[in-house]
Amino acid sequence: MPAVGEVLKALSDPTRRAVFERLTRGEAAVKELTARFSVSQPAISQHLAALRRAGLVAERRAGRNAYYRVKGTGLRPLVSWIEHYQGFWLERLDRLQKLLEEMDS
Amino acid sequence: MTASPQSITADYEFAQPPHKVWRALTDSSLMATWLMPNDFRPVVGHRFTFRAQPMPHWDGIVNCEVLEVDEPRRLRYSWRGGAGEFALDTTVTWTLTPSVSGGTRLHLDHAGFLPTNAFALQGMEKGWRGHIAERLAQAVAEV
Repeated sequence: MPAVGEVLKALSDPTRRAVFERLTRGEAAVKELTARFSVSQPAISQHLAALRRAGLVAERRAGRNAYYRVKGTGLRPLVSWIEHYQGFWLERLDRLQKLLEEMDS
Repeated sequence: MTASPQSITADYEFAQPPHKVWRALTDSSLMATWLMPNDFRPVVGHRFTFRAQPMPHWDGIVNCEVLEVDEPRRLRYSWRGGAGEFALDTTVTWTLTPSVSGGTRLHLDHAGFLPTNAFALQGMEKGWRGHIAERLAQAVAEV
């Protein structure tokens, strides 16, 4: 599974993020993405390759066309990273509560 | 407590009044007992660090800058942790509201995991987890 850093890095580029958002609404051909984002086809292909390396999208080839879609498990590293932080705050806020009770006495 | 790709939020209710909660949130030695050892001072622009036990993927150091001090209502600082690919550039905001019983309602907002508005994902209103579960179910169905 790619590390959370790779996922965040892949999504830190605005165009890449927009492409990813578009793909969450359904599969799209490279041609269609090129037209939609008004960038060259090599540029779109590079963005898609970066998203694929980060495990965020999958490719399907049909004849001369390539189609991309969002991978269901792609955002898992990010979700578990955020969950990790959630656990951290829950624990610290419990400690804060104990401290406040001690400050009373 | 809820989480989204942008932020983690939590709401707590304490029996103690806001000035006491504020002290626990802003007194460096008190902060060390419940949060982490630090060199915090409640001065806007002050740069400080939290230092915790290093963990896998984390050197244990959080680099912060005080962004807002509005005693005893609001405290905000930047929260930059992790190195290299695990770098995290986020903001922690504490909001205190007096409760009717004389206690304090404390709201935590740890924001910025992904740039704001980065995700106008369909089905987002159903909640992040629901959305992920949906995607997972779809992915499994496609196998």
